[in-house]
Amino acid sequence: MAEVPAKLEKGGSWVTSRIDIGNDGIVLKDPWNVTVSYRSIVDLQKRGQMITLLVSMPDKTERPYKIASVEKVLTIVTKKIIMACNAYRIMAHFMSPAIRGGVLVTDAKWEKGAIAVLKTGIWFVSQDKQISVPLKEVASLELTKRELQKKKLDVIKIDHLEGGEVVTSFILCPLSTLQVLYNFLRDATKDMDMKGSELDQLDAQTAQVAMLIYSGMDTKSIENMLSLPPEELNAIYETLLKLKLVDVVMVRKEVQLTPKGVRYITDALKPPS
Amino acid sequence: MGRILIVDDTLFMRTLLKNILSSGGHEIVGEAEDGDIGVTKYRELKPDLVTMDVVMPKMNGIEALKAIKALDANAKVIMCTAVGQEQMVKLAIKSGARGYIVKPFQAPKVLEEIGNVLGA
Repeated sequence: MAEVPAKLEKGGSWVTSRIDIGNDGIVLKDPWNVTVSYRSIVDLQKRGQMITLLVSMPDKTERPYKIASVEKVLTIVTKKIIMACNAYRIMAHFMSPAIRGGVLVTDAKWEKGAIAVLKTGIWFVSQDKQISVPLKEVASLELTKRELQKKKLDVIKIDHLEGGEVVTSFILCPLSTLQVLYNFLRDATKDMDMKGSELDQLDAQTAQVAMLIYSGMDTKSIENMLSLPPEELNAIYETLLKLKLVDVVMVRKEVQLTPKGVRYITDALKPPS
Repeated sequence: MGRILIVDDTLFMRTLLKNILSSGGHEIVGEAEDGDIGVTKYRELKPDLVTMDVVMPKMNGIEALKAIKALDANAKVIMCTAVGQEQMVKLAIKSGARGYIVKPFQAPKVLEEIGNVLGA
């Protein structure tokens, strides 16, 4: 057991405490004073200097525990949990991030480690890296091929959103395992699949608008680039909104001057007397 | 900021790139819809940087890249291709490309990559 300092949350309050990191579980001291076995952990989320464990209780309910600590401690705890928690897990190679916003990451390399699919996210853990991809941020999954040491090997390509950027990662492992992992991930993210009836509503122009939104163009730029009147673009936005392909981030106003406004401008432009 | 030549066979992608690059303060000195015209325009315009699509009719992007590098060994060319053609990366880099953009792309990252290559 290794005892390390940490802050533990209970009822909205944080208590300066300690945790014991063991081989089979983790002991959360004051205010919880509980032993959590790694096998009972069904989910792990990391946000900044804090992790949240979701623990399956004997009465079938799930209880969250929040731990805040320094990065070094969280890295050790995270690795222990990912390698032993209740999740679908395989040993594999991964490259993450490989592409960011459409630009190849120059120092991207294959890392040897474990891939674990938990309740709300996919974790990549190697000697040097710990990366989590929330399932709700997974934009697309594809079984494809990638050249490695002059051989074309089967890989899973995952596109996911990270702070508004589209990030691409790759997973490499034996094909039989890869297929199982792919099916598992497809199933875990099936809510994102487009239905045939939804695809029917997307014509070529709507797809072009979606592509321009992806590239970061604003409404005015899209109108100019596609020579679209505002009403037509609004109708396309409505289709995209209805299909949950976009969110409204800002409502812009078009205004015109009132008589009072015209008087103000006229007065403002008069030369000083 | 740089003078940029855009080589892509689709008007949509050329317009998109033009918009992104102009918003970053770059000057678009020319456009070409295939590799052949791209090489001719490079010779005429001497841009600071070229964005080059890989799959194009007549002369493809890799051939055009090689032709431009033969004209000017210091030419800065960034390749631009669709998802699934990443295996072209090695060939392009070997042929002298300074960077690689995968479609679909996001404006801030494209500008960052262009800035890096122009600054190099």
